[in-house]
Amino acid sequence: MSNISPVVERALDYISEVRQGKIDLKWMEANSGGWGVKAMPRDDRGLGLEDINRVGHYGDVPDSGSKVGSMAPRGSEIPADMPSLGCYDINDKSLVWADNVALLYDEAVARQWSSARDIPWDQLKPLPEDMEKAMCQLCTGLTEVEFVAGDMPAKWLWHINHDFHEVKCFLATQIADEARHMEVFRKRALANGGGLMRSSPAQESLLRVILEAPDYTTGSALMHVLAEGFVLTMFRSGEMLAPSEVEKRIFRLCMQDEARHVAYGTMHLKYFLEKHPERAADIHEILRMGEEAIFGLSLDSSTAEPRAILAGGGVDHIYEGFAKLGGLYTKQVREYLHRLKVAGIDRTSQLAIPLELPAN
Amino acid sequence: MIRFPSVLWFEEMRALANSDPEHLRRLGTVDLALVVKIDSADRSSLFEIAFSGYRCTQVRELADLAAAAPDAVVIEGPYQTWREMVENIRAHGHADLNHTLNTLTIYDTPMRVTARNQLDTDLFYRYQQNLQEFFDNAAKVPTYFAESEQAHAA
Repeated sequence: MSNISPVVERALDYISEVRQGKIDLKWMEANSGGWGVKAMPRDDRGLGLEDINRVGHYGDVPDSGSKVGSMAPRGSEIPADMPSLGCYDINDKSLVWADNVALLYDEAVARQWSSARDIPWDQLKPLPEDMEKAMCQLCTGLTEVEFVAGDMPAKWLWHINHDFHEVKCFLATQIADEARHMEVFRKRALANGGGLMRSSPAQESLLRVILEAPDYTTGSALMHVLAEGFVLTMFRSGEMLAPSEVEKRIFRLCMQDEARHVAYGTMHLKYFLEKHPERAADIHEILRMGEEAIFGLSLDSSTAEPRAILAGGGVDHIYEGFAKLGGLYTKQVREYLHRLKVAGIDRTSQLAIPLELPAN
Repeated sequence: MIRFPSVLWFEEMRALANSDPEHLRRLGTVDLALVVKIDSADRSSLFEIAFSGYRCTQVRELADLAAAAPDAVVIEGPYQTWREMVENIRAHGHADLNHTLNTLTIYDTPMRVTARNQLDTDLFYRYQQNLQEFFDNAAKVPTYFAESEQAHAA
């Protein structure tokens, strides 16, 4: 058997030793300091990530992640010959952490929904053509934009040290959330006699800024706080503009997911700025770029007009719709500024976009 | 018949909300203290509804907002708006498209949502489906209203 590799040969030797009664069992002496814990669920929600962080040293999240560069679980004993996998280079906790991240992961897992099962698709009714086209254009835009919040975390996820597994787990739920958002809006566009409409160059400009952010935190500030914050308010308005219970449910369920993402992003930015106040200028600069891009997008005809038609109740009432959306824009910006305040950043005087849209 | 608003009325809502544990597990966990503030000409009635995990855990009347949980989310509006919302839910079996919590609050009128900071306010968005379904239970509560705003205040 000359084609057997040394690895396979060692494994075969082990089988041979076991047959001869030579059992190792040294692993049973490992990590004695971590032995004897008994994590308990806090209530009937079951055993959460938060609960297992309350026992022993397992909840001690180091400021600097393990230098080994492996996928070894935090709190386990790491053998001296553990190889580095060479890809985990985000090792500073402050670059990814948020104090609410374990809670948000537990909540995300508990609040998953299905676009197939949880949307009352049978309640869709034919709409006037202008309204259906407006809804389909809105859904086309949302289908286009939603998965940036999957692609952006995915770009950084595999760089994050495994000692920060709570962040990795949460971002994984976010990617699943965004997959669901992308497909639910695509489904709505294709489910009521319409179809996908026009994709948007203006949207791509915003998406590029997010995807090309120079590091995770600036990308997160752009995506979680600015873009998803704006989308959160847009989903609130979507729920209000919805012509049927179907769209109302879609926007409401998506809104819930977005609010979790925004909560993580806001608290991550807060944690980051507490540790790196000198980086505030970088955050201001990336937010300035994002604000300009999102403002351009918000007032792109293929974004603004469908929403105005839905808000007004038809193309004949589009100006009434614009008036309604003007008030929502102000709310959108104010909520964004208030979230930044929670994160410890005041952009009121540096805002690159108007707080209110011109009345005339 | 149970008078709206009253602790008894919200207790009935709490019992209805907890009556289908399987459905609550499907909706997911909620950790929130929601204060319902019902404004009349000369006073406000305040009720705090606590949610934890998969259950609505407690209802209590508050003397004032200072007695609420520090991270409470407050949804407030005139008595007539609350009454109209409850009547709408009772008429349709659930809130119609114009009477959902989100629609009533999005322009900050006739209702509005406040909290100590935006992150807490965002809890109202994060748990929107649960909160809407909680209030949709009003369809099943045999309700009577004070004859007028003045009677409510009395």
